[in-house]
Amino acid sequence: MTRLLLATALGIVIAVPASSETFRWASTTDPQTMDPHAVSSAPVLGFLNNVYEGLVRRGPDMTIEPSLATAWEPIGDGEGWRFTLREGVTFHDGADFTAEDVLFSYERAGSEESDVASWFAPVSEVIVVDDYTVDIMTTSPQPLFPDSIANWMMMDSGWAAANGAERPSRDTENFATRNVNGTGPFVLSDRQPDLQTVLTPFDGWWGEVEHNVTEAIFTPIQNSATAVAALLSGEVDMIEPVPVQDAERVDSNDGTRVIRGIESRVIMLGFAHDHEMLRNGEPNPFSDVRVRRAVAHAVNVPAILQTIMRGSAEPASQLVAAGTSGYSDTYGDRSAYDPDVARALLEEAGYANGFSFDFSCTNDRYLNDESVCQAIVGMLAQVGMEATLDAMPVSNYWPELREGNFDMYLLGWSPGTFDAEHPIRFLVHTAGERLGTWNFGGYSNPRIDELLPVMQSEIDPEARQAVMDEAAGIIQEDMVYVPLYVQPLLWGVREGVEVTQRPDNFLILRWVSIE
Amino acid sequence: MTDTPSPNSVQTERARSRIAIAWDSDLAYSFRRSPVALISFAVVLLLVLSAVFAPLVAPYDPFDPGTLNLMNGFTPPGEANAFTGETFLLGTDDQGRDVFSTILFGLRISLFVGFAAVALALILGVTLGLVAGYVGGMTETVIMRIADVQLTFPAILVAMLIFGIAKGITPPEYRDQMAIWVLILAIGLSDWVQFARVVRGATLVEKSKEYVQAARLIGRSPFAIMLRHILPNVLSPVLVIATISLALAIIAEATLSFLGVGAPPTEPSLGTLIRIGQGFLFSGEWWILFFPACTLLALALSVNLLGDWLRDALNPRLR
Amino acid sequence: MLSYILRRVFQSVLVLLVVGLVAFAMFRFVGDPIDTMLGQERTMQDIERLRETLGLNKPFFVQYWDFLVRAVQGDLGISYRQGRPVAEIIAERLPATLELAAVSGAFALIFGIVMGIFTAIRRDGFAANAIMTLSLVGVSLPTFLIGILLIYVFAVELSWLPSFGRGDVVRLGGWSTGFLTQSGLVALILPSITLGLYQMTLIMRLVRSEMLEVLRQDYIRFARARGLRDRAIHFRHALKNTLVPVITVTGLQLGSIIAFAIITETVFQWPGVGLLFINAIQFVDIPVMAAYLMLISVMFVGINLVVDLLYVAIDPRLRA
Repeated sequence: MTRLLLATALGIVIAVPASSETFRWASTTDPQTMDPHAVSSAPVLGFLNNVYEGLVRRGPDMTIEPSLATAWEPIGDGEGWRFTLREGVTFHDGADFTAEDVLFSYERAGSEESDVASWFAPVSEVIVVDDYTVDIMTTSPQPLFPDSIANWMMMDSGWAAANGAERPSRDTENFATRNVNGTGPFVLSDRQPDLQTVLTPFDGWWGEVEHNVTEAIFTPIQNSATAVAALLSGEVDMIEPVPVQDAERVDSNDGTRVIRGIESRVIMLGFAHDHEMLRNGEPNPFSDVRVRRAVAHAVNVPAILQTIMRGSAEPASQLVAAGTSGYSDTYGDRSAYDPDVARALLEEAGYANGFSFDFSCTNDRYLNDESVCQAIVGMLAQVGMEATLDAMPVSNYWPELREGNFDMYLLGWSPGTFDAEHPIRFLVHTAGERLGTWNFGGYSNPRIDELLPVMQSEIDPEARQAVMDEAAGIIQEDMVYVPLYVQPLLWGVREGVEVTQRPDNFLILRWVSIE
Repeated sequence: MTDTPSPNSVQTERARSRIAIAWDSDLAYSFRRSPVALISFAVVLLLVLSAVFAPLVAPYDPFDPGTLNLMNGFTPPGEANAFTGETFLLGTDDQGRDVFSTILFGLRISLFVGFAAVALALILGVTLGLVAGYVGGMTETVIMRIADVQLTFPAILVAMLIFGIAKGITPPEYRDQMAIWVLILAIGLSDWVQFARVVRGATLVEKSKEYVQAARLIGRSPFAIMLRHILPNVLSPVLVIATISLALAIIAEATLSFLGVGAPPTEPSLGTLIRIGQGFLFSGEWWILFFPACTLLALALSVNLLGDWLRDALNPRLR
Repeated sequence: MLSYILRRVFQSVLVLLVVGLVAFAMFRFVGDPIDTMLGQERTMQDIERLRETLGLNKPFFVQYWDFLVRAVQGDLGISYRQGRPVAEIIAERLPATLELAAVSGAFALIFGIVMGIFTAIRRDGFAANAIMTLSLVGVSLPTFLIGILLIYVFAVELSWLPSFGRGDVVRLGGWSTGFLTQSGLVALILPSITLGLYQMTLIMRLVRSEMLEVLRQDYIRFARARGLRDRAIHFRHALKNTLVPVITVTGLQLGSIIAFAIITETVFQWPGVGLLFINAIQFVDIPVMAAYLMLISVMFVGINLVVDLLYVAIDPRLRA
């Protein structure tokens, strides 16, 4: 009986017939829309980077390079930026790309319905100078403006008007949700939300083709063990991410390997700065900087990196990873692991006998987040801080944090602009309507609030770095957050597949080649 | 002073003789003759005892985070850790916890959840089943429709619902104990229906029998009739369901843990251990999954085998 | 009879309303969809505006009422995550779940009946006892673990079977089927076994005990006394009489197979409604969650209703 079953199974073995140019890849999240302005999330922007293009784009090392604009220069004394557009570019449907499309894309992406409108907060006006020249005027000098619009994708005004998709739509569907018309190197040939999305090369692309992909198939696979199994058994050519613990297996397996990199996301601990009481009704020790420093000394980051992260991650000293623009070399050292110093600091702060508190943590957001939090609970217990771990899915997590239901929490932050100003704007600036929107702990420092506009508008690189250094110094001195480590990027690929990994974790198909 | 024995002592007397009767009963005879039942019982007993005495048996206290050393993490069974040189019988998990101790403590939680959930389901189901079957009419309709609603909701969803509500209303300092009670409530609530259905069915049959009619005629209260006359006669199927439910409850707890609504990882149950361990299946740290899974298998299998034997033994027509 | 049917239908509708209410109450605790819908750079105004657009700032009972009014008209709302009508998404995903449920139901039924008969006939034989014990191993481990172990052995180590998905599907009108391609059929094997294992054990045990019961009946003894051969007795007489309860139970189990496909679908990335539901929970996609729960409820309540009505049709005494 069993033998019969086995024989049947053997008889119908699937030979994976993937022709050499079909590239299949899997990731945990399906891009929820094909509209480049409707949702500002990494899965959407990353995927659509293959289909749509911006005025500028990022190279493998995240530097800004020309894309639909061939050149750009500041106007006058920082009143705006002039972009010279590439000529002879066509959209997938054959329409020409001109300055009108840039203006339209600004109006669309900057509209109230758009999720990326915040990129255009400093923009006062977009002026079409001629068919291939556009001036983008800003209310204040914006030295980093070109860096901030690498994901601002150009849409054809005529196509959008013809199909009633002049504005992005998030809560309902419109034509642009499931159809694309970009200038990018790939066109959408099949879109089945949540099941599979197929891209094929665009023959009329303006650039020089480096890839040899004839068809690219994306499948979302949520369960990481299933994704690893799919890669190991050769059913997909690439998965992202590889669970940290499975990296070695994927690497040592015949026919697959792991590409490691450092993501720009910094994992850190945040505190309830302005709460009077802990959630258990005791006075809040975390408003005392000595207690926050004690936490920094009590957490053994090297041990976490060695065991839980298996040597795949780098320690972090600031809110951005080393190498990010605006990173401060002056404050590049992180607090050393030293439980004795931690105990002494606690004693000095009047907590010689320790205290109990809640530690809020996600369990489905960052790589091995729950394990890391668990380890931190153990390390803090060793110096007398007794944390109760409150681990929850991210869908519950943000509402809890926004309502202030935490004492200490885990947070990961990826700077959207790849500049150290970004986390300061969202995490450190005094909480308000537009700024400090992720500053849940209520930290407030007038000096930081003064420095932020300076770092946004200072054009001279050295003067700007001095400001960045000062801010980094204040944040480290006040231990506003305890930076732990930079999250690793782990991609698993089949042998014979070449991909280029970028720190923003976007898979750029035009850099893929298959043997 | 009279020499009439008090009602209490009569009951004790009766109880004692019941034990003696039980030992000589067909059931006990069948038990003694069945090697499967004997072995299963021994396994269950061993597991229950080691769980109860876990603090005495276990070499470490895995629930005390202050004693853990992260560098002990991923030590293979019986080998010395490369950094600390310590050796653990069944190895350690990702947090450096001794797997053997964690299993013992986890077993404690799993068994507690299992027994408590079945007890809840049993009390709820038997009571509602008896009432529905005996009283009938509108009461019966309402109870059986509630049972329908209950069946509609998979245990997973019930657990998530209760979990969410409990999270909203429990003060933070009780949060870590909350998970266990939520599991008990969720599994218990999703299990009572089968008890209720069986008991209702059996009650309908018993109700029409002459002895119940007689009891009713002599004016015994419905409560007394249900408790003293009908209940004892529907107990055999209830016992069988309870045994099978125990195994199911322990498995359900593991499944819920997979979906993220189980016991917290700082105080893991067997199910949570398996959920954590399955993440290390591909990476070669097999022991983190293997030993908890074997323990769960041994426990659930033995309980199921006992349930099987009980079903056959209590069904005289099969003998 | 008619009044009985009407009463039962009325009760079923009431049950559905209660399920809807409970389900709706539950969503308040699953989380807040706002954060998963907006990007990192959202402002507080964005949050308020979206809350208003989605109607989340309305009182709970108003939201429930709105949902019911629209659901009755066949409008299940728009998915928060995909921005598409929920009815369309469910219609797209349902074939995958139904095909998986059908195959695992068939697997459970066929293997369950065959092994049930075998263990009943060879009641005290070694093989029968071994099967009885082994079948319990399958139900003594959680489903997700069985699924992962099957993937590990048959997809990763042996590379015989695919580890995820449905393979190639063929579209027939609004229905996508995996039955017509080789890869579609192969992809069904592991998930069906994982999902059907529990039901198989259940059916096997049921068949066995029913068979044993029937074999003791007088007419079987007569048949034996008349010198009929064992095979004729077992199959022509005994089996026939065990099938009625088996089919009833299987029918009732079909609904629970669909409900419990949630876990199998998650492990195998099977694109059915169960996986859709799990994704919806992660994203707090309330319209999808509500629609799924109502769908499952309608299915269960419907099956219950049919079974009850059948009983009444068979047994007039119940027409009280």
